[in-house]
Amino acid sequence: MSNTQSEDKKAEASQQPQQQKPTVLEEDDEFEDFPVDDWPENETEQASGSTANGNNVHLWEESWDDDDAAEDFSKQLKEELKKVDTSR
Amino acid sequence: MITILEQLAEGQRELSGALVAAALTPVDTPTDPNRLRSFYNFSNAAQISTSIRNYLNQACGRVKIPKQELNAWIDLFSAYWKVIGELLKFEESPTRASWVQVFDNWRDLANLLIRGYSNFGFENWTISCLYVVGKYLRIFASKADAEASAQISVAFYQEDAGTDFGKSAKTEEAARVLNRMFTLCLNDRAPLEASRKWGVYYMTNLLFKTYFKINAVGLSKNLLRALSAQAKELPDLEDFPKSHIVAFKYFVGVIYFLDENYGEAEEHLAYAWQLCHRDATKNRELILTYLVPCHLVNTHTLPNKRLLSQSPRLEALFRSLCDCIRKGDLHGFDTAMTASEEEFVRRRIYLPLERGRDIALRNLFRKVFIAGGFEETKDGQTPIRRTRIPVAEFAAALRIGTHADSRTRIDIDEVECLLSNLIYKGLMKGYIARERGMIVLSKGGTAFPGTGV
Repeated sequence: MSNTQSEDKKAEASQQPQQQKPTVLEEDDEFEDFPVDDWPENETEQASGSTANGNNVHLWEESWDDDDAAEDFSKQLKEELKKVDTSR
Repeated sequence: MITILEQLAEGQRELSGALVAAALTPVDTPTDPNRLRSFYNFSNAAQISTSIRNYLNQACGRVKIPKQELNAWIDLFSAYWKVIGELLKFEESPTRASWVQVFDNWRDLANLLIRGYSNFGFENWTISCLYVVGKYLRIFASKADAEASAQISVAFYQEDAGTDFGKSAKTEEAARVLNRMFTLCLNDRAPLEASRKWGVYYMTNLLFKTYFKINAVGLSKNLLRALSAQAKELPDLEDFPKSHIVAFKYFVGVIYFLDENYGEAEEHLAYAWQLCHRDATKNRELILTYLVPCHLVNTHTLPNKRLLSQSPRLEALFRSLCDCIRKGDLHGFDTAMTASEEEFVRRRIYLPLERGRDIALRNLFRKVFIAGGFEETKDGQTPIRRTRIPVAEFAAALRIGTHADSRTRIDIDEVECLLSNLIYKGLMKGYIARERGMIVLSKGGTAFPGTGV
């Protein structure tokens, strides 16, 4: 029973990435000409994103911590260790 | 009403390069669907020069253009008239129309323009003409090459030999002409306010695009060398229009990226990103396509959710990979890499993304460390994380991360190998105490450098 369940899960997992395959991508991935030659500072990416701080820290994930997931993982790890013990 | 000639005349009267360049733009516009046709019908092959001369004499009689220069403009627009004739054939008699013809005639026009600057005193306010002529030279070359290769594949349908040869002959020819335009800008000795040096980055960008297209990225480095040799004579980068600079920085970033010099690449790409117009969706996506892998390699940091959620394309490209790296899901990471392999290879980001597996592994092992909790401490002391961890725990984590089933064996040797690899790469700090089957990690929040623990 548990075996077929995990089989199903695997089947799901292998199907998922196919669904996620990028939709239609344009043939042409060239850098486009900008519609205008120049623009003021306040229309730049920098200006629109830098409300909090001047650099682009806001682009990147700052923390790796995920407290909810940490608890789950802790349980998972214990179970896995038990499995190894019993199989010995 | 002949818009093209009006734009030319008014441009000359007002010294507006934008207007003259608009005249030289070989397309109809929504407001003027007969733009090309009306200019073509204005005269015939035998009399076009005379007709343009008469028109200009009337329209800008009071503006004195030196005779030689005027003649050069007339020659230029006569050549332009010829190209338009070739373009109109696509509507009139498509069987006789040919992009190769269009390209050859446009190339002649480009050469006349170059001569206008080098020999006949075209001034730097008209420099947008170089932009538009260069731009369409590349466009027409690519259409001509596509046309030629379609004909070849029909003629030699079953022949395998020489498939690649000459496939981009016109684009290569265009590159040579564009290179002359580049030199024309770079080596102008006029004082800066009247210099063609202001066009140098625009021309560089056109050449970069062209070299990328014919898979000759190596040639781009010649341009960079030429630019850096002249660096002292050029205006500051910030003084150029942002459209020139953002594109330039993007291409330079990609060139370093392809050389696997991700440090340099990130600097240039970040610069491009910061100055990019915030509404230029596609260009923003392209910059991030390379900036995200660079950042992953350089700082082992992922883009945040908000950044990816701005663009469906970036979501599709990076989302599942990033989620797997964050969670330490090695199996998911491998699946995501395989699923998008083709796409990653095509965009040439496969290699740096592959390095994300180390980060996924680091995060998985970091979770073991977190799950280990804290040592018992005496009252009042700040709690210290447990830094001695049995290798078996990492082995168990690896089973979770790789979705190992009960039949899969994971050797302790293999786990130790992965651990020492991470330690060697500086992603973990500590050592393996083999005789005790333990990992001893660094204390004081440096066990996994840069991650807060």
